[in-house]
Amino acid sequence: MIATFFRNLFRDLVRQPMRTILTLSGVMWGTFAVVLLLAFGNSVQKQSMKNMRGMGDRLVVVWPGRTTMAHGGFTKGRPIRLTTEQVYGLTDHVKGIAQIGPEFRQGRRLRHGREEFNITVRGVGTEYTDLRNTIAQNGRFINKIDLERRRRVCFIGDTLAKDLFKQDEPVGGRIMVEGVPFTVVGVMKKKIQPSNYGGNRDTQTLFMPWTTFTALYGSKYVNNFIYSTAPGVDSAALERSLRSYLSRKMGFSPKDTDALFIWNQAEMLEQVNVFFLAFNIFLGMIGSFTLLVGGVGVASIMMVVVEERTREIGVKLAVGAKRRQILFQFFSESLMIIIMGGILGFAASAFLIGVLPAEKIRDYVGVPQINPLVGIATVLILLVIGTIAGIAPARKAASTNPIEALRS
Amino acid sequence: MIQLNDIRKVYQMGKLPFEALKGIDLTIESGEFVAVMGPSGSGKSTLMNIIGCLDTASSGEYHLDERNVAGLSFDQLSQVRNRKIGFVFQNFNLLPYATSFENVELPLLFNGKSAKQRKERVRELLDKVGLWEWHRHRPTELSGGQQQRIAIARALVNEPPILLADEPTGNLDSNSGREIMEIFQGLWEAGKTVIMVTHDNTVAGYAKRIVRLLDGRVENGRKSA
Ligand SMILES: Nc1ncnc2c1ncn2[C@@H]1O[C@H](COP(=O)(O)OP(=O)(O)OP(=O)(O)O)[C@@H](O)[C@H]1O
Ligand SMILES: [Mg+2]
Repeated sequence: MIATFFRNLFRDLVRQPMRTILTLSGVMWGTFAVVLLLAFGNSVQKQSMKNMRGMGDRLVVVWPGRTTMAHGGFTKGRPIRLTTEQVYGLTDHVKGIAQIGPEFRQGRRLRHGREEFNITVRGVGTEYTDLRNTIAQNGRFINKIDLERRRRVCFIGDTLAKDLFKQDEPVGGRIMVEGVPFTVVGVMKKKIQPSNYGGNRDTQTLFMPWTTFTALYGSKYVNNFIYSTAPGVDSAALERSLRSYLSRKMGFSPKDTDALFIWNQAEMLEQVNVFFLAFNIFLGMIGSFTLLVGGVGVASIMMVVVEERTREIGVKLAVGAKRRQILFQFFSESLMIIIMGGILGFAASAFLIGVLPAEKIRDYVGVPQINPLVGIATVLILLVIGTIAGIAPARKAASTNPIEALRS
Repeated sequence: MIQLNDIRKVYQMGKLPFEALKGIDLTIESGEFVAVMGPSGSGKSTLMNIIGCLDTASSGEYHLDERNVAGLSFDQLSQVRNRKIGFVFQNFNLLPYATSFENVELPLLFNGKSAKQRKERVRELLDKVGLWEWHRHRPTELSGGQQQRIAIARALVNEPPILLADEPTGNLDSNSGREIMEIFQGLWEAGKTVIMVTHDNTVAGYAKRIVRLLDGRVENGRKSA
């Protein structure tokens, strides 16, 4: 029965090869559009996420500021200040922090040979490399001994390394930071980071041990501190408990967001995700309209097919076909065209994505992929459109009057 | 047994109703061989279509083996056409792109038979009409007489007790016509009820009873017997 069904279906489709090819290509083109748009939407989303992670993963940046509310006997306008020891001490009082560290920042003048730059200099701890993804390409990041001995060593961004050292090897080289000589111990691996808070991006920054920084420049309080949320910990909840702990300890209102300004990457990612969900639905809809046009093509061609095959329908009804059997026959024919067109469109888009010069476009749109989500979305859209396109011709066929059909 | 009581068929011709059958009373016993005759437009095909459950009467009662057919739905009528009635048309009505085998197989597809059963049945029927060797051919490759024999095989494949034929020899030369009538004769002898429409007296001569229609009425009304 099934074999007969497919044999007849296939014969009906090849009987009018030109027509079948035209309708197929309509559906194929629509599927192609849907898959490509969804795949690209998806990869742009992933790439944006990746770009955001250039800053770090599950990262939170906290800036102590000035109070704007009177609280606990203090007037407003009082600066909130934290020392490095207080920052590192936070892990004892607030649960759920994976890593934490201070950050000091100043603009300083650098020189190497005849090259001179005004650049952001940061004093940081060893954890900074994990928190902010400043990974060493050559050499190493600042280590414990550097910190203990207040060594005059620095880790520099890759762009800065090029600007200062040109072709020369930067590691082991010397940089004058306002007259004080520093030895380069490492160069950062290139990363994607579209922006930064306060000062140059990491690629153009000089990092030194915070101990060296405070000794040289006399800073006592951190500009800001950064931490990462431990895996499995709700970052919003952690943020709340941190704020409540510090407000008690430092004496400011927990509602005073200016006393402690917090940037939470997880919240950002959530917003970006919502944006991309909308963006992808939009792209999917554009693709669906193209596919809908293909579906309308199938429906109108099938209407003609039903018209032409009235006699066949009449004969089948005369020898005992039930209306729903005729309905099923024509419905499955439309659906089959849609499914075959869908498969071809899928294959074509997979091919295009496969031969795409991924290197050239990766930084902008990422690497488009046909992941299960794209696949499922496309199949669902195809089925909906296939059903819509198939129903009208099939109903027309099933409502044929056998006597009139046989008289024609 | 076929029992028609006051069967009427009204066609709407534009605004005017047109009564093609004006109260037919007719009883045909199982195993009869009946020819329906009458001038063109007298309602023969209309009557055959109603008997064959292809069409329904506007009013009146139609009992087929004691069962009132008037109240049946379209799909129930399909079932009756599939199991109880074989229909043969003047213009054969074979599917042009399908082989002889597939044409004969068609009613079996709507009767849920397995591939093996279908193959056996089709072979049996094609043998019976002497056309098994043509089972892979399409209707266009066959003569009119051969096509009508294929159509008869199709009509009989589900073993219906009743065979209806609307001018089965109308498109055939006299030789082919004779072949068809000999098949009908054999079927009647084997116990089938055969009802056919014809204009041809020779053809009608095979029948054991003639029903004459005139202007939507049965001329020789109640059976004399
Ligand atoms: N669908 C229809 N709509 C309107 N009138 C119809 C329809 N079908 C048949 N008629 C009319 O009903 C009458 C009987 O038609 P029918 O086909 O039964 O005649 P017939 O006896 O088979 O004639 P013929 O010998 O030419 O085949 C004719 O006048 C015909 O015009
Ligand atoms: Mg007629």
